[in-house]
Amino acid sequence: SGELYCSLLNPRNVRFESINMKNVLHWSAPEGTGNGVLYKVKYSVYGVGKWIRKAECRNINRTWCDLSSETSDYEDQYYASVKAFLNGMFSDWVETTRFNPLTDTKIDPPMVSVSSTDRSISIILTAPEKWKRSPEEESISLLQVYPGLQYNVSVLNKKTKKRWFFSVSNHTLVVPWLEPETAYCVSAQIHVTTPLLDSGFSKEYCIATLKDK
Amino acid sequence: TAGNKILHFGACRVSVSMAEIRVGFTAIKANIQARDPIRTLSILSYPHSLHKVNSSDRCCITHHLFNFYVDKVFKHCKTEDSYVNRKISSIANSFLSMKRKLEQCHEQNRCECGRESTEKFKQILANYEGLNVTSAAMKSLGELDILLDWME
Repeated sequence: SGELYCSLLNPRNVRFESINMKNVLHWSAPEGTGNGVLYKVKYSVYGVGKWIRKAECRNINRTWCDLSSETSDYEDQYYASVKAFLNGMFSDWVETTRFNPLTDTKIDPPMVSVSSTDRSISIILTAPEKWKRSPEEESISLLQVYPGLQYNVSVLNKKTKKRWFFSVSNHTLVVPWLEPETAYCVSAQIHVTTPLLDSGFSKEYCIATLKDK
Repeated sequence: TAGNKILHFGACRVSVSMAEIRVGFTAIKANIQARDPIRTLSILSYPHSLHKVNSSDRCCITHHLFNFYVDKVFKHCKTEDSYVNRKISSIANSFLSMKRKLEQCHEQNRCECGRESTEKFKQILANYEGLNVTSAAMKSLGELDILLDWME
């Protein structure tokens, strides 16, 4: 006799979203399904291939799963997969494309701190840290991960609206020959040449130069 | 040219159009990797990762790998997609140029081949020959980011 085969539509758009190597698997619910759908997740290391279930993402109703810990070795590449089930029906396993943490992550803007004298401003730039399991774990700057990391810095004279751009590898920059008692606004971006990775620009940090001595 | 970078492989220095290769590969990466369904085998990564190679062996391994990609990989990577084929041939040309540059240094005996690099490259060839030519070539091409990450 024919076997009744109930299957659920597949989860959609299964992909890694990664920022500073915090690698989170995201997906969309199967089309046309409301609440009540549950999911399970597994992942594998490319070249090893053995699928490993992610226990903390078993029978979950949310549509994301943090796999940062499992994908923290950026010398490896990974796949992840999601399956949906509802009222005894279940979907196929749906996989991501191959995920390479080194090239597929996004990078946050650098932290910027500014100070001024009468004729110059000093800018200190700090690259974000790589994701880590716990605050106690040793911090790794993305500068260590991407040795070719550079900073693009924009400096705006608020009075004249004149803007300068600098590209520096060093994390400090002094901008000389400025006008006293003038507001300047600084914004910075991280630029990695290869693999090609650019952060957005940071928000603007404004400071006024001091009175002329 | 813009985007060229000097990479050091032991005593050898090679000017490499890394950004150009990366952009070309990124444009076809998903397409190429989707043609490789085999997850349990990696040409370059397992069982011994490229990242575990001693710096003294870098030059020799790189020389072997440039030859490997030019002689065994690119020529077997034809697809039905002309856009992908153009990107592959552009990458192949860059590799040919790098191979010639490193060859000069290798001929001046400044690119010693130690036991480890010989073993390592044997493993890569064994992984490659474990598959049929087209699958092996497509898998190797799909692993180009592994090679580029290691080279840098």
